[in-house]
Amino acid sequence: MSHVYSRGMSEIRANLTPMIDVTFLLIVFFVLVSQIVDVEHVEMNLPKPNDPASEKPSEDQRVVINVMPGPLGEVNGYKLGTRVYSADEAGMAGLTARLAQLYEANPTLDVNLRADRATHYKWVQAAIQAVGEAAGRVTAHDVQPRVNLAVERQQ
Amino acid sequence: MSFDVAHTDEQMIEHRGARQRRSNRPARLGLNLTAMIDVVFLLLIYFLVATKFKLGEEIYRMDLPQRQPAQAERDPFQLDREPLRVEVTSIGIRPDDYAVRIDGPYPQPATFDDLFDFLTQRQINEAAIGGLFEPDHPIIIVASGTTRWEHVLAGFNAAARARYTNIMFARPR
Repeated sequence: MSHVYSRGMSEIRANLTPMIDVTFLLIVFFVLVSQIVDVEHVEMNLPKPNDPASEKPSEDQRVVINVMPGPLGEVNGYKLGTRVYSADEAGMAGLTARLAQLYEANPTLDVNLRADRATHYKWVQAAIQAVGEAAGRVTAHDVQPRVNLAVERQQ
Repeated sequence: MSFDVAHTDEQMIEHRGARQRRSNRPARLGLNLTAMIDVVFLLLIYFLVATKFKLGEEIYRMDLPQRQPAQAERDPFQLDREPLRVEVTSIGIRPDDYAVRIDGPYPQPATFDDLFDFLTQRQINEAAIGGLFEPDHPIIIVASGTTRWEHVLAGFNAAARARYTNIMFARPR
């Protein structure tokens, strides 16, 4: 009988610590990313123009206005961050006031505008107008208002 | 042979003694990780399936008009340039259901590609002779309130593709 065998059967054990570490990191990543995507992106069909002259969005500080699509080209309001503003006069006043606050804090803020391809132009134009009015209210800085119009690039 | 047996018995006695010594040690505490790993993998699979990345999204940059500067700062000899107005109308719900018209005595485009060709040919640059419009000539996209956003944006895209830099939207008709 060998001396090694006399110590009993050897036990093979996998070290699970690195796997658990990596798995937890992946979960944290997906939790954070999915929250960011939810806040910024409302589910909608963006316009998909032929041969677009669009560009990739920059990493500059930005806010996203989602024109929330309703039936037959109408809208269910405007979503800025986590807050939804109605499409009536009071809602637009609230949206403009919030944008003015954001411009006061950061005059070079980019505003991304997302609207469904079927949405009627009057609702999109109202959001663009709100951005222009908000920039005009800022007295402390010289603001150059800029709207980034979101489209879907054909793959 | 008898020697061998005697040796084995001795070993067995010694072995039993070692086992008895081990059994007197305090019990080892072990954490069972199996359930946790199961749950963690389920969470991972959920987030992998549920997360949607918006990889195909791009933007058009559009500068909005700033507040008007004071009248004194304006050059009195600067001529106002008449903006080129492009009217876009939706006539159906499909992407191709639209009508486009250029305001003025110009050949009328049937499609946004025609509009792109017109704007490219009439641009003043080194490549084309006899152009009418500078690259920063104001182009205004005019649409009714019920025009589909995709058609309005297609008009904007035609001008942006033709490398015009001063494109704006008019208020809805």
